[in-house]
Amino acid sequence: MLQVGEAGTWRLWLAYVRRTPLLLFLLAYTALTALPFLWVASMSLRTTSEIFANPYGVPTHPHWSNFADAWFGSNYSTYFWNSAIAVIGAVIGVTIIGAMAAHGLARYHFRSKRLFRFIILSGLVLPPQMLILSLYQILLDYQLYDTLTGLAIVYVATQLGMTVYLLEGFFAQIPQDLFDAARMDGYSDFEIFWRITLPIGTPAIFTTVILNFVILWNEFLYAVVLMTSDENRTLPLGIMHFMGDHQLDVAMIATGLMIAIVPVALIYALFSDTMIRGMTAGAVR
Amino acid sequence: MPRPAARARQSSVDVWRPSRATLALFLGPAVLVFVGFTAYPVLRTFYNSLYLVGPQGAAEFVGLQNFSKALTSDAVFWTALRNTAIFTLVATPLDVFGGLLLALCLYAGVPFARSLRVVWFLPVLMSNVVVGIIWVWIYDYDWGALNMLLRAIGLAALEHSWIGDPATALWAVMAAHLWKWLGFNMIVFLAALHALPADVLGAAELDNCGWFAKTVHIIIPMLRPTLVNLLVLSFIGKMMIFDLVWIMTEGGPLWSTETVSTYVYKRAFDWNTFDLGYPSAIAVLWFVTIIAFVVGISWLFRQRDRLEF
Repeated sequence: MLQVGEAGTWRLWLAYVRRTPLLLFLLAYTALTALPFLWVASMSLRTTSEIFANPYGVPTHPHWSNFADAWFGSNYSTYFWNSAIAVIGAVIGVTIIGAMAAHGLARYHFRSKRLFRFIILSGLVLPPQMLILSLYQILLDYQLYDTLTGLAIVYVATQLGMTVYLLEGFFAQIPQDLFDAARMDGYSDFEIFWRITLPIGTPAIFTTVILNFVILWNEFLYAVVLMTSDENRTLPLGIMHFMGDHQLDVAMIATGLMIAIVPVALIYALFSDTMIRGMTAGAVR
Repeated sequence: MPRPAARARQSSVDVWRPSRATLALFLGPAVLVFVGFTAYPVLRTFYNSLYLVGPQGAAEFVGLQNFSKALTSDAVFWTALRNTAIFTLVATPLDVFGGLLLALCLYAGVPFARSLRVVWFLPVLMSNVVVGIIWVWIYDYDWGALNMLLRAIGLAALEHSWIGDPATALWAVMAAHLWKWLGFNMIVFLAALHALPADVLGAAELDNCGWFAKTVHIIIPMLRPTLVNLLVLSFIGKMMIFDLVWIMTEGGPLWSTETVSTYVYKRAFDWNTFDLGYPSAIAVLWFVTIIAFVVGISWLFRQRDRLEF
């Protein structure tokens, strides 16, 4: 008995030794992904002179005032609210329009359905370069160039394909019996959407809301082409602009980065599973 | 005349045949947005590619001249093409198979796998501006983490101006790009791995199949659909890369990181050439190339599938 036990421990120990390289690798990769963010977070609480004295020090006396300076002293509050307005507006728009289209495609039978689906989803594979040059002209034509409204509308268009694609998949799984019963009870077409698809599809809609929010919050290319004036810049553009003007004010740039990171990090902390599931659904289905 | 047995189903189908008004209500807004802000811009880009588009929108028809100019006499375009090709061909397999490797590590039943997954996915959610600036700092010659690390471990001879030197700039940007995206492929593979039927893997275990053989002969073939999807997705993403390159190097130094996308942007908005026609032609060329590759890759893998079974 004793011998078997010893052999067992021995084997267990051997298994651990064998796995040491794997565990070391895991540790190294975790450090590689997490440390840069911790570094930025620490720099955002230090002054630039402290950073140049020792770039990798810890904030012993955290300068929370950096955030107040960035918010009130630089234009970061403007950038933040611009981003918030354009992104939230676009997310509301794309969710309503996308959910209605997804409901229409998932629930009804009509001859041109495949064509509609193909058209709306073809936006998924278009390189943005095919759009930006002429969108610039089109927004100029409609006096929407350099406005948050114009940017929000473009954002709705860019996210529409993905939103319809994800929501149609989810809506199609809602049992048909529910809808047949609603029909029998005399619900109108819109009531069926409003009182059955929407409430039951809420988790799926929530997933696309979060996903679209994060993607658009980070968006750079369309914003850089379609916005020029400083008072209309979104947060990513604002940070780039600030970096261009104050290359050496590392602390203030880091603070700006944290202002961009924190909303996403908060959402991620609360809904990491939802976000991960949403992002994978788009890739595997 | 519907047969009696099919009548019940038939009638339920008929109920779900929408009137024009219903169709317009649900699909109208989406179609309007699509036509106005996707289809029309795309057509207009095709149209523009045949013109010289002046500052006030004054257009002069030049036929295929823009295309022939790009293909025959624009050295920067060919440099951009070369850089994008290198970036795509090197980064796509690294990205996908690196993600697979990370997923397998977590799948091997290591402690804290769930928390590690959450941390590893973090860079995927960050803006390219955040990632780009962080990596510009990491590559900084004087106080960047990479050179500091090299000095600390006695390899000061290797310290380098990573994104300042044309020889290393493209690779440095690529490393930052991979750092951001590896977590995405990892998470998709992980989901696919957890969806694998447990009995097949159990049978392999009974046959005393080693982990390497198990990975190569069982897991990877079973993951094939996911693998192909991710290869195509990753490939497209890299063909279109813009944000990170623009933020980190703006295509420099000496065009060493110029990609097709950054060049299109530069020609349209950064140079004072005031012509949207020429960059539109490049965008069209590139669009056609991407579509050709995607169709080609899909066809290639479908063909093989047919031969296998």
